Parts: sequence; C-alpha cells; structure tokens
Amino acid sequence: MIRTDKLSKYYGKGGKIKAVDELDLEVHEGETFGLLGPNGAGKTTTVRLLNCIIKPTSGTATLNGHDILKEEMEVKRVTGLLAESPGLYDKLSAYEFLELMGALYDVPGNILPERIDDLLKLFGLYNRRDYLLEGYSRGMKQKVLIAAALIHDPPILFFDEPTSMLDPRAALMVKDLIKRLADRAGKTIFICSHILPIVEELCGRIGIINQGKLIALGTVDEIIAQTETKTLEEAFIAITGGVEDKELLAWREQRGASA
Amino acid sequence: MPVPKWLVIARNEYRTITSSIRTIRPYFPFLVIGLLAVFVVFIAPAFVSPFIGDFLALILSQAAVPLVQVILFVFFFFLMLFPISLALREMRTGQLEILRAAPIKPSDVLLGKFLGATPFYAIFIAVIAGFFTAFLSPLGLGIVQIAIIIMTFIVTFLSALWIGTVIAAILRTKLGKTARGKDIGKALSLIIALPAIAVMYAIIGGGLLEALVDPRTGGIVKATLGLLPSSWGAEVFVGFASNPGNIAAVWFETLTRFGGLIIFFVAALWLGAKAADRAYSLDFTTFTASRAKPDGAFYQTVKYLGGGRLFGTLLVSIFKDYGRRFENLSKIAYVVGLLVLVGIFFGDYEGPIGAMIMGIFLFPILAAFVVGEVTVRGKENLFIYRKAPSGEGRLVKGRLLQGWLVVIPIVAVYATISLILVPQITFISLLTYTGLLVLIVAAYVAFALGLFLLMPVFSEKPAELMVNAMILTMVSAGLLMVSMIVFDLPLLYIPLIWLLGIVFLYLGKRNLGRIE
Repeated sequence: MIRTDKLSKYYGKGGKIKAVDELDLEVHEGETFGLLGPNGAGKTTTVRLLNCIIKPTSGTATLNGHDILKEEMEVKRVTGLLAESPGLYDKLSAYEFLELMGALYDVPGNILPERIDDLLKLFGLYNRRDYLLEGYSRGMKQKVLIAAALIHDPPILFFDEPTSMLDPRAALMVKDLIKRLADRAGKTIFICSHILPIVEELCGRIGIINQGKLIALGTVDEIIAQTETKTLEEAFIAITGGVEDKELLAWREQRGASA
Repeated sequence: MPVPKWLVIARNEYRTITSSIRTIRPYFPFLVIGLLAVFVVFIAPAFVSPFIGDFLALILSQAAVPLVQVILFVFFFFLMLFPISLALREMRTGQLEILRAAPIKPSDVLLGKFLGATPFYAIFIAVIAGFFTAFLSPLGLGIVQIAIIIMTFIVTFLSALWIGTVIAAILRTKLGKTARGKDIGKALSLIIALPAIAVMYAIIGGGLLEALVDPRTGGIVKATLGLLPSSWGAEVFVGFASNPGNIAAVWFETLTRFGGLIIFFVAALWLGAKAADRAYSLDFTTFTASRAKPDGAFYQTVKYLGGGRLFGTLLVSIFKDYGRRFENLSKIAYVVGLLVLVGIFFGDYEGPIGAMIMGIFLFPILAAFVVGEVTVRGKENLFIYRKAPSGEGRLVKGRLLQGWLVVIPIVAVYATISLILVPQITFISLLTYTGLLVLIVAAYVAFALGLFLLMPVFSEKPAELMVNAMILTMVSAGLLMVSMIVFDLPLLYIPLIWLLGIVFLYLGKRNLGRIE
C-alpha cells in the first residue's frame, strides 16, 4: 500500500512554488487509484516523489512499508513506473531495452529471457523484438515502456498518463491490461491522468489535485455528490475552475476582429 | 549474483553506440584490436620514419618539455571538451527518469556511461600512444619505460574524458530541463571550441611554441602549464628519452610525476562519483518562464525597415524568433571569434586585399549560419507560410531582409576595423572596400537562402548545416578564382556572385512550394 504523510515539494526562493503541498493520502493494497488534475497541478511531481526520483522538501511516504527517505532502493524495487514522457533508448531493440531494464531491477538472469519474450508476446511485439525502437510508432513505444514497468513484476504500479499518446485500439488494450493487473494479479495501481473517462472507468477511488493541494478524495459517485453535479467532468470543472459559457465567444465582439 | 549496475549501464551504453553496426558487433572488438595492432606495429613506425631524425633532435633539445607539454595540454583540453560538446548538443533528459526510477546509484550511472564509451576513447588513445612510441622506439627505451609512457597516455587522457563526462552530466541535467537551458546548451557547444582553436592558431601562426621554448619569455605561461596534470607526463617522456633503458636515472621524476597523475585520476574519479547525485538530479532548476518585453526602439526600427504595416510585423516576428535563440547568437559569435583569431594570428595588414580575401572565405559560413535557420525548425514551420496567402514569397523576402540586417552590420564593422589597421589607407579607399565587401556578402546571403531552400536541412545537427556552408564557401571561392585567374577581372566577382545568388534564390523559392 501507499501512504503519504504531509508530503511536500516546494521550489523557488523560500519555497514559494508549491508543486506538492502537504499531501496526505492512502492507497490500499490491490486498489486502483486515480490522481486527477489539470496540467501543472502536481501529479507528475507526486509520482516522482513516490518513486524516489526526487526528494521531498518535507513530509514522507511509505510504499509497502518502505520509507521513501530511508529505504530508497527497496521502494524502487517494489514499484514500476510508466513515466509521462520518458526517453527511450532509440538505438536499442525492444528486446535489448527490456534486457537492460531487467538487469537494472535485478531480475535473475535465468528467468529474464523468458519473461521478456512473454511480455513481448503479450503486447504483440514479439515479431519485432529485434527492431530498433527508433522505428516504432508511439503506441508501440508505449507498449514497450509498459512492459519495462512490469519486467520485475512489482506489487505497485504507477502509470502517468498511460493512454495519452495512444490510438483507440492501443488505449483499449492498455485499459484492459490495467484492469487485469488489478483484478487478477492483485497489483496496487496508481494512475495519473487528465483524461477523465480513463480514470472513471479504471479507478475505484480518485483524488483531485490542484496547485499541489489534494482538494477532493473519494469514489467518483462521492465526488459528484459532493459537488452537486451530474458528471465527473462537471465535478472536475467545479472543483478546479474553468471558462464559463458566456466568455467563449467574447473575442468576436471586439470591433474589427473579423477578417 | 547480480551483475554490478555500472556494468549493466556500460554494456547498454556500448550497445547504444554500436547500434549502427549491430551485425558485426560480436566481432567488432577483435576487429578494432587487430587493426590497432597493425597500426602500432607497422603503420605508425612507417608513418613517422621520414620525420624521426627531426623529432629525436627536438625531443633531446631544450624545447622538448614545453613542446610535449603543449601537445598533451591540447589533447587533454580537446578530450575534456568532447563529451561536453556531445552532451550539450543532445540535451535529452528523458532516459534519466527511467534510470532514476530504478534501484541504482547515480555514481553507477556515471561510471557505466563513462566505461561504455571507453572502448571508443581507447581507439584514440592507442593511435596517439602508437605515434609517440614509434617516434621514441629508435632511442632504445626499455620495456618498463614504454609501459610507463603508454600508461601515462592512458591515465592523462582518461582523466580528461572522465572530467568531461562529469561536467557534461551536470550541464545536461542543469540545462536540459527547460527550453531555454537546452538553447543555452547548444549555444555553448559551439562557443566552447573557440579557446581550443585559439591555442591551435597560437601554435600554428602565433609562435606559441617558440615563446615557450625561449628561456627569456613566457614565464607565467610556462609555470601555469607546468602545474597542469596534462604536463606531468611530458617530463616523464623527456626524462626517458634522455636516459633510454635507464629508468633508475630518472626514478624520482617518474615517481612524482607519474604517481601524481595516478593520484589526480583517482581523486577525479572520487570527486566525480560524489558529484553524480547532483549530476543526475531531476529536480526542477527554474520555474521562471521567459517573457517577451514590449517592442523597443530596435524592433520598431526593424519594422520600419520592413516597410511598416503587415510585412514589417512579419519581419519583426522572424527577427524575434531568430534573435531570442542563444544558439543563433552563438553561431554569429563563433564566426566573429574565428575572424578575430584569424586576424590576430594570421592577419596581413600590409594592404587591403588580405582583409578582403579573409572575409570572402569566412563570410559565406556566417551567411549560412544566419539564413540556414530557415529550414532547421522543420517542415511544419515552413507549412505555416505555405498555408498563408502568398506566404512563401513573404517568407523568402522576410528571411532575406533579416539575413541582410544581421550580416551587413557585422561585415561593415569587420571591414572598417581591418582596413583601419592598413597603413596609409585613405578614407575613400576604406569606404570603397567596405562597400564592396558589403555588396559581396549581401549576395552570399541571397545565395545561402536559396541553397537552404533548395537543399533544406530539416535538422539542428551542425554537421548537416556545415555541408551547405561548405558548398557555399567552395562555390564562392571557386567563382573568385575564375574572376581573378581566368578573366583577370577581380571585380567581375561581384556580378557573378549576385547572379548566382539570384538564380539560387529563384530556384529555392520554387522548391519551397514543392516541399512535402
């Protein structure tokens, strides 16, 4: 499970910019949790903090009982991360890339080749295993990255915008995979996204973060009820703010604006 | 037992570098070792044999120590810059997130990346060490002496490469997170070459070696050079050359200098490993986004020069997009720096022609750097103009004017300063020669713009830009030769280069409409 305790990350002079501000959160074992928020809300910073990629300014968190401040290596071993915009090694083949990731996460050499082949077959990439990643489509690259996050079979998985770059078919496949990982493999899954239907469909509970603060937490129904709206989209706008209908065409009313 | 993480990273780095030769990867090390053996045993001795007499006389003279010191310093400096320059050009930090999320120490990443590239560095080290040992072997050096010389090369050059790798990692992490940082990185990648070029020019045309050898001059430079780790090996080499086969005669110098080098390398490794955590930090370094200021007098003038109104606005926009990139400004600074260095070390100020010729050879590169930007931002950037009514014509006109507005003031200042140094030059001559050079360079800009539209460079890689720059330089120089030698009419060069510029501009504009 994941538990954060006033987890904070501040930047700038005197900590003026609060990327994540005193986040208190609990994600239960086997749960699929969604962190929603507009761009720049602090979702990726939260994921990076929980994966020990960056260090918090204050507060801490534990993942499966391992403290992110004191047990960095153990935390990294129990988590898998699909980052929002990771850099792939374009000059490696899919097989070579997964081999690298397996070695980095200490997957024993006697089971690594078989696991790589299994994952490549699962994602329909087995026939292209020896092609360099530079020739892969975005969707195929995303599949390789998901396979890399799974290579050491971690109990906790972080997916930062897992379907944002995928075509509908690949997005459906990823969604199905996440569902199975949660339902059949009992993984704890933490999804960050601003695509509301994905989170709505996959997550048992969601949190909404804005300007570093967790401002709503609960099931989709609970959040809709709290905001007295009809859909998650309306609830999200109500909580985080948006442009009102009457403002949308205001720009046309300026004199001389039409060409 | 799990494989050490630095070895995993090193293997991966090696795979990445050799990805283009994957089919021969298993045999590649043997192939390289075999070729290097042939080089060291046969090629290097054969290559150096015609110069061996002169070299031995030099290595046994007073000039030996400063000579070898300068050679090693230049190599040290270039090798240190090599990984930095590579990193600054490719400011990608995405892969770092994958590595930082894994249970691996930053020092393992740093060491692995260094070791993965080391086999390729070793090729360079073997070539240089091969040359030196070939030069020194006729002296009858003992096997231990040769081994120490080779070790000295290895330790000196690996120290430089390690320091460069650490600095590169820090710079990439600091600069690679923001668009502005990446821009600064690309700008630095070009500018950092200038000090090394200055040292080379000083050796070739500035009499640096002679000054160092002369006991009356260069005291501070000599003392500073002697303190640098790159210089310590020089004293070992020269000591061995003076006492071939007799290591005992120079045991103290060998122990202190070679021992010092080893300590320096170990200390550099330790400090680099300590710095690794900072070098691979993914924390944001800045949250300050660059903001555009309201147009000042400069942009108002540019708009006025563009005829005001909509085209003036377009010209100002082109100017802003160009001028706000440090990379573009660094290219101008680089060519200006080269002009200054060439002027200092190779300048001929006895008549106006020397300055003119120098400009004629260097300004095509400046023109290419300035207007070559037209395609490097990619096709999508060009399609913005293609989509707009008469957009292609306006783009060509705007870029041409922008090129002239950037290049002509530089040329005018260069010509004025160079010509003022010519004794007894009259004001009229000064104006005439400056005007002629401006006229020539204005044609270069048109020629360069046409060429880049005809042969677009859709990448920011300097090598591809340089191909077009070289074509410009060659063709311009060829045309000058034709005017001077075939027709014996130097002034014919001006209408010829203008004709070429107009033709290329026409062809380039036509091609712009066909790019898909």
